[in-house]
Amino acid sequence: MKKTDIGVVAFMYAVCAFFFIASRSMKKEAQIYPVCIIILLFLLTTGYVVKMLLDAKRQGVTSGLGEIFAGFQAKQFFVILGLLIVYLAGIYFVGFYLSTVVLMLASLLFLRVPLWQILISVVVVLGLVYGAFVLFLNVSLPVGLLFK
Amino acid sequence: MLETLSYMGQGFLNALTPLTLLLMAGGTAIGILIGCLPGLSAAMGVALLLPMTFTMSPESGLIVLGAIYCGAIFGGSISAILIHTPGTPASAATAIEGYQLTLQGKAGKALAVACFSSFCGGLLSCISLYFFAPLLAQLAMKFGSPEYFWLSIFGLTIIAGVASKSLLKGLISGALGLLLSTIGMDPIEGAQRFMFGQASLYEGINTTCALIGLFSMSQVLILAEKKIRQRAKANKFHDRIALSGKEIRRITPTILRSWIIGNLVGILPGAGASIACFLGYNTSRQFSKHKEEFGKGSIEGVAGSEAANNAVTGGSLIPMLTLGIPGESVTAVLMGGLIIQGLQPGPELFTRYAPMTYTFFAGFVLTQFLMLGIGLLGCRGFAQIARLSDAILIPSVAVLCVVGSFAIHKNFVDVVIMMVFGILGYLVRKFDLNPAAIVLALILGPIGEKGLRRSLLLSGGNPAILFSTPVCWVLIALCVFGVCSPILMNRMERKVMAASGGDASEEDTLPPRTSE
Repeated sequence: MKKTDIGVVAFMYAVCAFFFIASRSMKKEAQIYPVCIIILLFLLTTGYVVKMLLDAKRQGVTSGLGEIFAGFQAKQFFVILGLLIVYLAGIYFVGFYLSTVVLMLASLLFLRVPLWQILISVVVVLGLVYGAFVLFLNVSLPVGLLFK
Repeated sequence: MLETLSYMGQGFLNALTPLTLLLMAGGTAIGILIGCLPGLSAAMGVALLLPMTFTMSPESGLIVLGAIYCGAIFGGSISAILIHTPGTPASAATAIEGYQLTLQGKAGKALAVACFSSFCGGLLSCISLYFFAPLLAQLAMKFGSPEYFWLSIFGLTIIAGVASKSLLKGLISGALGLLLSTIGMDPIEGAQRFMFGQASLYEGINTTCALIGLFSMSQVLILAEKKIRQRAKANKFHDRIALSGKEIRRITPTILRSWIIGNLVGILPGAGASIACFLGYNTSRQFSKHKEEFGKGSIEGVAGSEAANNAVTGGSLIPMLTLGIPGESVTAVLMGGLIIQGLQPGPELFTRYAPMTYTFFAGFVLTQFLMLGIGLLGCRGFAQIARLSDAILIPSVAVLCVVGSFAIHKNFVDVVIMMVFGILGYLVRKFDLNPAAIVLALILGPIGEKGLRRSLLLSGGNPAILFSTPVCWVLIALCVFGVCSPILMNRMERKVMAASGGDASEEDTLPPRTSE
């Protein structure tokens, strides 16, 4: 049994509890089907808990973290994730183009991509988006709250 | 019969317009590009480019997605042959013999074999698409609400099939997807369910956003957690990318065997191109008159693997188009594309929308020819692009995910939903749950719910209606088979891998089966 699986089953039970509580405020007839699915998820998760316990008895308990996160570059991952979240907020406030340029420059510089490749990448991606989405699909990309 | 032939002819006439041919060529080239980039998969590519097809006519949109699918499955062989890194899991077996040929200075030969075999495998798979799909659609016409309920349950049991490691975790992923599919308006009562005051959730979670998040954004996060390494330089080759008549004659029996294998594997829900390539490779070795060449660079080995994985493409479309059951992740994404165009998979595609369907089929045939041409002419160029660093792919793919999800309804909430599914997809993949299972449940959940509730309404709440016809019982038997098959499939896959000289460690380094 892997200790990380405890997190998985805890998450699934939390999902079951969250949706079950949310379903209480629904019309009774509309409740039946979602509650059946919640019960199904609960039963399957419980089945997995039983399997985990049997595995623990037979093979012992291992962390599992080392296996799942082997070679995990924590700093790189969280910086990129952070940049992506800031990017979404940026699109909302300052618009798509400015945020995209900032995201591309920041992430490519952080990942130590040579400068000439950074410039080409930014131009190609923006050109691709403009050509495919703005010209071809007629999608007007967000301009941001500040520039509205 | 005559009507079908006339639809077939009309389909080719419709598909042979300059614009459609251009779109087809573009889709094929993009697919090959995505396929040859290790780290990007066919499902991811199709999901990422799905929003691009919104403004196209349904047939053109589907042809582009089909072209990306075929191109990506073939494209994986380029990096497998030249840098010993399969671009997609479907080319894992190709790397064994293909790279050995490259080391002998015969990379051009290996690429020509891969290209020609992929072309033949894909083209022959269209035969089954033309002849089996309408037959299955005729059967589906007899389905009522109870049958559709069991059909969706059968589709959901496939989740167990696509589950990579644990059957229970696959089923848990499916149940989670089912629960997420209940978000939105109740289809019968019209009451709000889990909408939390968000009007944009009125029609439920947008499947395309979920697809882009689960397959594409999660892949960005997977790439971001790994150390960025410079990819191996593609081996330069000076031999011609061509085959002699003698070589074509030699690989023809292998291609025919692999076509049958790939087609059957494609039709079987839960199995995919990654299994087919090893089965094709192993069979080519078994029947070869030059067994001594295997492991040292055999053109039959490359042909066996490549013909089989491309033969999967046509076969895998059959259950998706006729019954609405996507057997694996790429067809689940393609089904998403179909639904976005306002079309429901099922018998109607072969009656009311037959001209559109046969145009798509014709486009699928023509794509194989374009794949052959683009593949042969562009191999050297694609090989250079295959070296593109993950560092550049990370922000570029992320930007395309954001734009793609925004373009669906021009709504920022969709972008947030995509991002949430991206993070969910990343965690799901890390903890051995299954993103494909969530997608299948998101698609099939509403179909099953409608089937169940309509049946119960018709019978006044009596569940006996669900067991009232022989077709129901056949589908119930298939559900049982669906649950049991992955156990057999995993055993078979392990045996074939072992027989092909692959080992567990090799398997671990490859992308998961579900992300083909």
